[in-house]
Amino acid sequence: MNPVNAPNIPGMLTHHPMKFILFPIMVCLILFLFMLDILTGPVPIPLKEILHVLFAGDTSNPVWSTIVSDFRIPKALTAVLAGAALSVSGLQMQTVFRNPLAGPYVLGISSGASLGVAIVVMGFYPLFVQGSINPLSVWVQIVAAWIGAAAVMVLIMAVSLRVRDIMTILILGVLFGSAATALVNILQYFSHQSQLKAFMVWSMGSLGSVTKEQLAILAVTVIAGLLLAIFSGKMLNVLLLGESYAKSMGLNLLFSRVVIFISTSILTGSITAFCGPIGFIGIAVPHLTRMIFKSSDHRLLIPAVILAGGIVMLLSDILSQIPGSDTVLPINSVTALIGIPVVVWIVFRNLKVAAIR
Amino acid sequence: MTGRILSEIICRNETMKVPENIFIELKQLGIGYAKSTSGTCILADLLSMQVKAGEIIALVGRNGCGKSTLLRTMARMQSPLKGTVFIGGKDIKSIARLEFAKILSFVSTEIVDIPYIRVSELVSLGRYPHTNWIGSISGPDKAVVNNAIELAGIGHLRNKLMHELSDGERQKTMIARALAQDTRIIILDEPTAFLDLPNRYELLRLLNHLAHEMGKTVLYSTHDLSIALHESDKLWLMASGTVNEGAPEDLIITKGFHKLFENSDLYFDMNAADFRLRRKYTGHIRIEGDPELILWTSRALERIGIKTRDEDTGGTSILAGYQKGSPVWSLNFNEQLQTFFSVYDLISFLKVVQINN
Repeated sequence: MNPVNAPNIPGMLTHHPMKFILFPIMVCLILFLFMLDILTGPVPIPLKEILHVLFAGDTSNPVWSTIVSDFRIPKALTAVLAGAALSVSGLQMQTVFRNPLAGPYVLGISSGASLGVAIVVMGFYPLFVQGSINPLSVWVQIVAAWIGAAAVMVLIMAVSLRVRDIMTILILGVLFGSAATALVNILQYFSHQSQLKAFMVWSMGSLGSVTKEQLAILAVTVIAGLLLAIFSGKMLNVLLLGESYAKSMGLNLLFSRVVIFISTSILTGSITAFCGPIGFIGIAVPHLTRMIFKSSDHRLLIPAVILAGGIVMLLSDILSQIPGSDTVLPINSVTALIGIPVVVWIVFRNLKVAAIR
Repeated sequence: MTGRILSEIICRNETMKVPENIFIELKQLGIGYAKSTSGTCILADLLSMQVKAGEIIALVGRNGCGKSTLLRTMARMQSPLKGTVFIGGKDIKSIARLEFAKILSFVSTEIVDIPYIRVSELVSLGRYPHTNWIGSISGPDKAVVNNAIELAGIGHLRNKLMHELSDGERQKTMIARALAQDTRIIILDEPTAFLDLPNRYELLRLLNHLAHEMGKTVLYSTHDLSIALHESDKLWLMASGTVNEGAPEDLIITKGFHKLFENSDLYFDMNAADFRLRRKYTGHIRIEGDPELILWTSRALERIGIKTRDEDTGGTSILAGYQKGSPVWSLNFNEQLQTFFSVYDLISFLKVVQINN
């Protein structure tokens, strides 16, 4: 027997001393950006009045009160939820598919949501006009997006029951997504201008269209998805080694796939349903977090990614409101402009790593 | 209370006794893979072998003969086409997933590439079947992990990130992970593949230690025949759909290796106890003098297609000996005497002139 004379490193898996500094910094940052997000908007409202609304529930100007409590707070909360949900979903997909460029969209879930919305807004429009349902109403769109996302999810589940190879599932996910996008394009081609516009507005993504009532539902579903993600932390850790190693160490592959796919579908599906497709957050945030924490331990990364996702999304929302003007940029464009440089950096770093080997 | 604990201990001892001598047993095992269109492709059939507890077994065979398939079948990572694998008297199909992961660990040839994971963290992943739902590493787990790291000889690397390591160091880390899994059986698929010569012997010393001192059963495949010959209790020689088993020496005596090298230019030289390339000889030379010089000179001559012999039949001859402490070769060629001071010079000369009989 070799003598064990090396120091016993305390903590082992959780040996990340930086986390005691980083987590408080991130919490402070998210609170600061949350306030800043509420402060910014087309209508200038003094900070003092906002604090009044937040803590006293009342202010001298009832219009300001309404703006803050009915629009800005729900929007900021939606931003935090959307950032957290999409980023955690991206983290799960990157680990499960062992692909640094995987994001919440690789399973085709948001394309399914798009198809759902496209079908009600453009496809069945004449049917709805006769009836009592207004196809352009937000609720109808949300339900349609949900059904679309769920349909793709069920399809992926059915495939993963039969297909062993995870890469095949990745490719099929991409193909399902492309097929859904193709159907959306066909629907767009045959639809009227007003329907097209309604669909385009949805597809540009918006954090601001979520009302207080919708926010409650969104929050419940996102929290459910995040709890499932936290529950999957140990499985994700062992999946880092790949499915065959994970299996040899006793992981139930099918169960882990089901849990992780349901979690990611709930997270991506509900955010897409309520806010439209928001790109690149899900790819970029997990990478940034891994780099900052220098860790791949999901039990540390999942809470860190939740915070980082919220921070990046709040920042995107603040940047989408051009200061001193009424113009608000589509959130999808802002996240793309923030996220794409990160993705480019990942690609170049991978090239560099490949060149060294 | 005490009675229960006592009976538990007795129970445990009894389950330990069940395997007795024969620990793993293959009965009429057929291995291979399912073809997508026409049935199955059988790589080997009717395999019936036994492994005793605490044995170290090397599996050798040509590329594509099914070594990995056999190991993967025994590790339950793929199903047998026919027959059964028993471990400790139980059909492996009947053992629960986590229970199986506590009995058998597997090290594959797959290169694991994970961003930002420390060696100690990766080894801790081996505790997967032993930890709770969140995967917390407790005190005893830490001790096992530390011990595994020390046994594998990577104590100095424990805080390094995986992507900073060489291929050999990664391989050792993956083996340490299997040790942390703390199983009675360890199966390794080509564990020496990425290692240099000293590291190979170090690894084999570790495997021997595990088998002979710690009573673990070790089964590994390798292409390194001299290592397999020296460092295993038993060889499984896999060729043309069957496995020949026996102590390495048994297989040499019964000429078991001939089957391995069918249709190749290799043969086993009983006198040199080593593998040789079969050559066509174009000439003969008589050699005499210092025995050590004769041995090495003969090898060099063999390489250029000249067979050596010691009886005097006339023709070309070499006298190898020492003059003032340095080696000298005197070549009698066509009645002319020439002197060389290195094997290289002698060979270079003989390559130019034709040696015939």
